[in-house]
Amino acid sequence: MALRKKEKVGVEALYDMYSSSLYGIIFRIVQHEEIAQDLLQDTFLRIWNSFSSYDASKGRLFTWMVNIARNISIDKTRSKDFRNSSKTEDIENNVLSLEMQSGNTLNPETMGLKELVAKLKPEQKIILDLVYFRGFTHAEVSEELEIPLGTVKTRLRNAIISLRKVFN
Amino acid sequence: MKDLKSYLESGILEQYVLGDLSNEELLEVEKNALNYPEIRSELLEIESALLSYAMANAIEPSEALRNKVLNSLEKAESEIRPLYGASSKPGQFYKYAFAASLALLFISVILLINLNSKLNDSYTQIAVLQTGNQKFSNQVNHIDEELRDTRNALHFYQNQAAYKLVTLKGSAKAPAASMLVAFNPEEEEVMIDLSSLKMPSNDKEHQYQLWAMVDGKPVDLGVFDSEVDSTGMKKMKSIKYAQAFAVTLELRGGSANPNMDQMMAIGSI
Repeated sequence: MALRKKEKVGVEALYDMYSSSLYGIIFRIVQHEEIAQDLLQDTFLRIWNSFSSYDASKGRLFTWMVNIARNISIDKTRSKDFRNSSKTEDIENNVLSLEMQSGNTLNPETMGLKELVAKLKPEQKIILDLVYFRGFTHAEVSEELEIPLGTVKTRLRNAIISLRKVFN
Repeated sequence: MKDLKSYLESGILEQYVLGDLSNEELLEVEKNALNYPEIRSELLEIESALLSYAMANAIEPSEALRNKVLNSLEKAESEIRPLYGASSKPGQFYKYAFAASLALLFISVILLINLNSKLNDSYTQIAVLQTGNQKFSNQVNHIDEELRDTRNALHFYQNQAAYKLVTLKGSAKAPAASMLVAFNPEEEEVMIDLSSLKMPSNDKEHQYQLWAMVDGKPVDLGVFDSEVDSTGMKKMKSIKYAQAFAVTLELRGGSANPNMDQMMAIGSI
């Protein structure tokens, strides 16, 4: 019984620590509140069920969880029923309007981070957002923005380097 | 590897972290990461940067969703348990326990760091308060002593006739030394005049000790310090008879028997 109780605390801690970051990513990929909520649940289920396959020597726990969330969300955006349902939704809904939606409150602790992120160069930010929040592969970004694959890699790398400078 | 720098800058590590690599490329990065610490630290840096970016873009999901997700996890867990728990996968249970401990550890570390810094703040505050307190009580002691010495002097001036004044002259060790001892045999009172005291300043390890010579034997009358700005009169231990007074330099706190080598001043009644 005691162990069961501890597990519950563990699940809650995991959720409280990471849900807002994961939800932010999922929401930006699927751009639909109801779907994003379902996917957050799927994400935590998969995290929980495949925990044994997480290998700490290959990277941080958070990176592993983010990639699960991104994979689930990207798979969803490519599914047939999502494409059908989203025809009526505004899929090009831009990121700025997301914050206005009711029920999604911004974490005040990260407000400072947001200002720093705003300092990213636009050509870097658009690639980073396409890859990280929209689930584009490098090849897809290259196609979408009509720039060479090498340039995509360089700009993405520079974007991450800028982030490193901003956050350190 | 031929050129580590261009490998680090090729963008493949970013792709690795973002999960945008084929299985083959993925294995290659992992193999290289094992061999080169520079690659490992670069990967960690990229992960940290993206973690911060995710946090900057976090959206708090609703409280209702929290309960829904937690309930579904609990439900999934209880469904899995009878399937694997008893027979084939005893490790299943430890997996959850491990995850839970990991999360708990994380929280504990944060709490600990937090608490520790608060504790340190408190220690600093206590130290500051203690210093202030110590300073204050030292001041009170000093003023107290001064007041007592001044009262003694007043008492002496009011009853001068009852006192015998004995001037102690410096010995060969301290020829310039001199001091005045007021002795009142009736009240068995011995006082030294601090304002006219002329003795070399004593260091922190030593103190002067006043002795009464009674039938050729020294009797301890207590210790005193020689300070430049002392005023008033200091009351020493009481004695009824004495033929002479003498001062020796002793270890702080005084000695049972005088150190005759350190005889500083002497004067007979």
